Amino acid sequence: MKKEKQSRKKPAKGVTRRGFLTGMGTAVVSSAVLGPVLTSTQAETLPPTRPKGLEDISLTVNGITYSLAVEPRWTLAEVLRDHLGLTGTKIGCNAGECGACTVILEGKAVYSCSQLAVWLDGKKITTVEGLASSGDLDPLQRAFIEHDAAQCGYCTSGQLMSAKALLSRNLHPSREDVQRALTGNLCRCSNYNGIVEAVLAASK
Amino acid sequence: MKAFANKNATSIREAVSLLAQHPGKALPIAAGSDLLGEMKDGIETPEVLVNLKTIPGLDKIRQQSGAVSIGPLVPVAEVAESQLLHTHFPAFVEAAAVIASPQIRNVGTVGGNLCQRPRCWYYRGPFRCLRKGGEFCYAPMGENRYHAILGGGPSFIVHPSDLAPALIALDAKARISGSSGDRTIPLEQFFVLPTVNVQRENILRPDEILTEILIPLPAPGTRSTYWKQMERDAWDFALVSVAAAIRQRDGKVEQARIVMGGVAPIPWRSHEAEAALIGRPLDATTAAQAGDKAMEPAQPLRDNAYKVALSRAIIRGALLRLI
Amino acid sequence: MSRELQNLSKETPRIDALERVTGQAHYAEDIYLPGMLFARVLRSPLPHARIRGIDSSAAEALPGVRAVLHSKNCDVIWSSGDRHGRRRLFADPARFVGEAVAAVAAVDRHTAEEALGLIRVDYEELPHVLTIEDALREGAPQVFPEGNIEEEVLRFETGNIDEGFRQADSIYEGEFVSQYLNNAQMERRVSLAQWDGDRLTVWASTQGIYNCQKDIAHDLKLPLGKVHVICHYMGGGFGNKNQGYDFDLTAALLARKTRRPVRVEFTRHEDFIAVHGRWSTQQHYRIGYKKDGSITAIHLKAYSNMGAYLRSHGNLQGPENYSSPNIRSEIYRVYTNRSCSANFRSPPAPQGVFAIDSAMDEIAERLQMDPVEFRLKNAIQDFSADKKPLTSNGLRDCIRRGAEAIGWAEKRRQYSGQSGSIRRGIGMGIGTWSGGLGPSSAEIKLLPDGSVKLMVGVTDIGTGAKTTMALIAAEALGLPLESISVVWGDTDQTPYSPGESGSRTTGDTGLAVIEAAKKIREQLLTQAAAHLKVRREDLALRDGKIVSSANPGQSWSIAEVTATNIDAISAAVTTQQPDDGSKSGKTRLSFTAHFAEVEVNLETGKVKVLRFVAAHDSGTIVNKLTARSQVQGAVTQGLGMALREELIWDGHSAVPVNNYYHGAKPMTHPETPQIEVIFVETEEPYGPFGAKKLGEAGMVPTVAAVANAIYQATGIRFRELPITPDKILIAMNPSRDRKEAVALPPG
Repeated sequence: MKKEKQSRKKPAKGVTRRGFLTGMGTAVVSSAVLGPVLTSTQAETLPPTRPKGLEDISLTVNGITYSLAVEPRWTLAEVLRDHLGLTGTKIGCNAGECGACTVILEGKAVYSCSQLAVWLDGKKITTVEGLASSGDLDPLQRAFIEHDAAQCGYCTSGQLMSAKALLSRNLHPSREDVQRALTGNLCRCSNYNGIVEAVLAASK
Repeated sequence: MKAFANKNATSIREAVSLLAQHPGKALPIAAGSDLLGEMKDGIETPEVLVNLKTIPGLDKIRQQSGAVSIGPLVPVAEVAESQLLHTHFPAFVEAAAVIASPQIRNVGTVGGNLCQRPRCWYYRGPFRCLRKGGEFCYAPMGENRYHAILGGGPSFIVHPSDLAPALIALDAKARISGSSGDRTIPLEQFFVLPTVNVQRENILRPDEILTEILIPLPAPGTRSTYWKQMERDAWDFALVSVAAAIRQRDGKVEQARIVMGGVAPIPWRSHEAEAALIGRPLDATTAAQAGDKAMEPAQPLRDNAYKVALSRAIIRGALLRLI
Repeated sequence: MSRELQNLSKETPRIDALERVTGQAHYAEDIYLPGMLFARVLRSPLPHARIRGIDSSAAEALPGVRAVLHSKNCDVIWSSGDRHGRRRLFADPARFVGEAVAAVAAVDRHTAEEALGLIRVDYEELPHVLTIEDALREGAPQVFPEGNIEEEVLRFETGNIDEGFRQADSIYEGEFVSQYLNNAQMERRVSLAQWDGDRLTVWASTQGIYNCQKDIAHDLKLPLGKVHVICHYMGGGFGNKNQGYDFDLTAALLARKTRRPVRVEFTRHEDFIAVHGRWSTQQHYRIGYKKDGSITAIHLKAYSNMGAYLRSHGNLQGPENYSSPNIRSEIYRVYTNRSCSANFRSPPAPQGVFAIDSAMDEIAERLQMDPVEFRLKNAIQDFSADKKPLTSNGLRDCIRRGAEAIGWAEKRRQYSGQSGSIRRGIGMGIGTWSGGLGPSSAEIKLLPDGSVKLMVGVTDIGTGAKTTMALIAAEALGLPLESISVVWGDTDQTPYSPGESGSRTTGDTGLAVIEAAKKIREQLLTQAAAHLKVRREDLALRDGKIVSSANPGQSWSIAEVTATNIDAISAAVTTQQPDDGSKSGKTRLSFTAHFAEVEVNLETGKVKVLRFVAAHDSGTIVNKLTARSQVQGAVTQGLGMALREELIWDGHSAVPVNNYYHGAKPMTHPETPQIEVIFVETEEPYGPFGAKKLGEAGMVPTVAAVANAIYQATGIRFRELPITPDKILIAMNPSRDRKEAVALPPG
């Protein structure tokens, strides 16, 4: 099996000429391979690839209901990004430690990297793309712009969603309320001052 | 993450029978705040996940005669916001409020917090340590600033739960259901030292799940509190924590339960500290003595002696809150 | 400040803020191409090992796997991975835990990850060294055959050091230690590569598209024109995305091999160990001083732990911040078998300034001088350490205004002689940031309708560079900001920019924008003179209009002149070496003074930062809104460095153990104080409208200010970072709780 594969993937001519073969008999991908002329497409049979054990679910995201077949191991963050094209939700750690993937699930801020999509059949989710779905910016988004709450912007979606969840149950939070509610959202640009100012401004 | 099958259990019976059907290959999962992380890191590789969240009725807080029943699927955030629980069990509510972050509290469950695995970096990292079936614990000769000062050996993990010390201080009981039936035990007996089982932190068998926590209503005159000392103000595990429940009568301590987190492989009940208080007034002197007594058996490792001083300080501090 | 500025020195929201708050800003990981494969990297579990063989057959046989690369089938050198060119894309030998050993491309990320587990690597374990101390020991295992100390020692010498110490009344000596910490930017590493014939496009997460292009072209032996790099939005880097990276090369090679677009994804665990962090140091200071408080000599001998390869300079800021006539500094770069050390925001500064400004506080105390007075007396003044005049220096204003803002004199008094377990203190530190200017490019097109397209090769990494460039263009053209569209972050569409590192974009690319704007104005006004039949010298461009100086009040819209043009009026400029004062022998620096007020609980070891004041002389501030964010963020990063952050390696296995966010413990919302930022806008003759560097200066003296504040609060001088609760508690409870460790030897 191994031998066949190797012979099928014979190195480009230039490589052999330059003698980049090792004792293991495998072609050495060297910078020299990347000369101006590429080899023509070689016929090869690729092994089948089919996701295993897909399960049907439906998710309502930002008011739109999607019917999907998901692998049990796919997280909500993966499904939002890879399958629904909602890339505003970011994956910073994939471990529930940074908050970049925060979305609102049934009214509560959650880490979408730590929810399996297969558990969420029939659930309602709001992502950052849903904040301005009516066409108008959410007051939080406007305040984030005015108070420069986004530096690199990678944590911003998550900060917004945690802030949105806060303001939906506490219209006039104190500074400390905001800091506590956004505790689960890291910002490595460390723009915490600006973010808190923005949330306070949006709640006025 | 390795592929697995997700089985939504619709009853406790179905959950435990699914676990029993796949011995060694199935794990129960609630919110998954901890277990999913272990699966992503390849520490756990179940073939079947038995989803407990689909079992109806396990997410309720119910007042009963003489006790409050907590379903294991009650989210931590609900505990933190419960007026009923706050009235009777301040330590429990205070502990819930300082767990991880709002996002985790919103989904993370009481049962999950009690059953979470250690945060020891050797256990979580690429080390085949005792707890993962390996030959030795890396902590004593390794980087051990966060490890156990009490009850350590042969493994030196610390138990990471915040709710467990509070619930043990409040004398809670745990109901466990398995394919061979149910049993109810004091929560204190739920946790086991590494000398009993070096690979698990509790007595659950593979086909068993926690199905209820019962907290007895405290006798009049009881006060409780939870103090968690973290390195970072948020999303951190306790360097040291202490739950204290004290009942006073006629100016003297009649009953005391002092349970520490972050210092031992189990939530560590300090009978020494309790004994130092019983029959005496609770004041600055006795509070300090309780802290000192609690630390008499401490055996710090190279880098964690600070936990001894810290424990003394926060035991005293927690007790002073209850005067 | 005497300049009249229309657009600058004001608070202007970012021009791309809308994209950032609506999820429409597309980062590298947000690009999905048809047929795209996902790639993951296998990393060495050993700190030092020869690779006898790799068997990837099982991985290749896994359904969905499309290609596997490793050291036995790929010999590409990653040139920016090591200044001496010793780093292969796939290691052999591996020199640290986490070094790339192989990579797999598969149809989805889970399959790629599963395949990693099927690759069998036959390692021959070699002895390793982890710390500076280990590496310097006689007979220590060698990271490279040439030895564990980099041959070139960083030396600086001015005056006569021996004479300086002879003149001193007293000599201070102190040893300081700082640890490795990771940049920990929010965006994990990702790179997406696609070939179109013989042309490569890489969507990189980079601070510099042109650096990245150059490195990729060099390492893959491609002409520059065949490498197209795009980075529109980038999720932070703070110095760790300056160049072309190994994962860019990996993506390109896997894409080449599979004839499919390939995206390499890192996990957060990998991100913490596989790239780089700040160099840890041991610094020994000897400082001679006189009774009158003047400094006669500063001698720094230091070691920087560079990890397994030399990826950056390893230098330290310190002695040059003080006016000592005699300075000797010698910095040895040490190789060890651990993750590389390289750039992290103001790479040589916070750990260096922690040391010297702790030392200066100690000297001030011995002299019974107030730390502020001591610095006003000794801080760098008219000349740099190498005795060149400075172009401008607002350091003393920073010190005075910062001290006033935090209430220095009163608090300093108030916090002396405290008792009880909760103590407060204030402390300060000073810093500089080099201000040299370099070449860059910009292109401007004035379109027939009067709107402007500004093309700059910047990648906006969070600093607000796009907005800064648009503001400078608006100012230089005399047009409103709204009329300017910025094209950025794409080597096919924008001219060269040096990369957003070293806080250089505003200066370098800003000057190119100004030069291009001048050419546009000239062309426009010449055309206008002909078109309007007025004298050229009577025309000017102001507030978006062509105005007549002969007839005040008379004006024409730009489109009135340009509407009939079939194409834009264009100007493309590449500045060569712009004058930054060095042509007349001067040195250009930014300055800063930071002030921290802390509360320390002696019983829990907890340090709370109550207030922080950061005063900065960065000349003209182009945009005060984003500049303030930059400083607040930099300070907060510094607080994390002072109090907590450190990557910890297991001493036996050399495996990093806290390479995840909750272990690395960056600062969070509730513990971040309000940071007050003061801009001392000194008149500066060089740079765009007198702007000096800022982004990195914001972190330079933060750690020192906190450490000095903790000293005032506790009376204990912490000479080792980070100043964590355990260190404070052990210092407060000496020996009482130390018992023998339970001996259970591993193995």
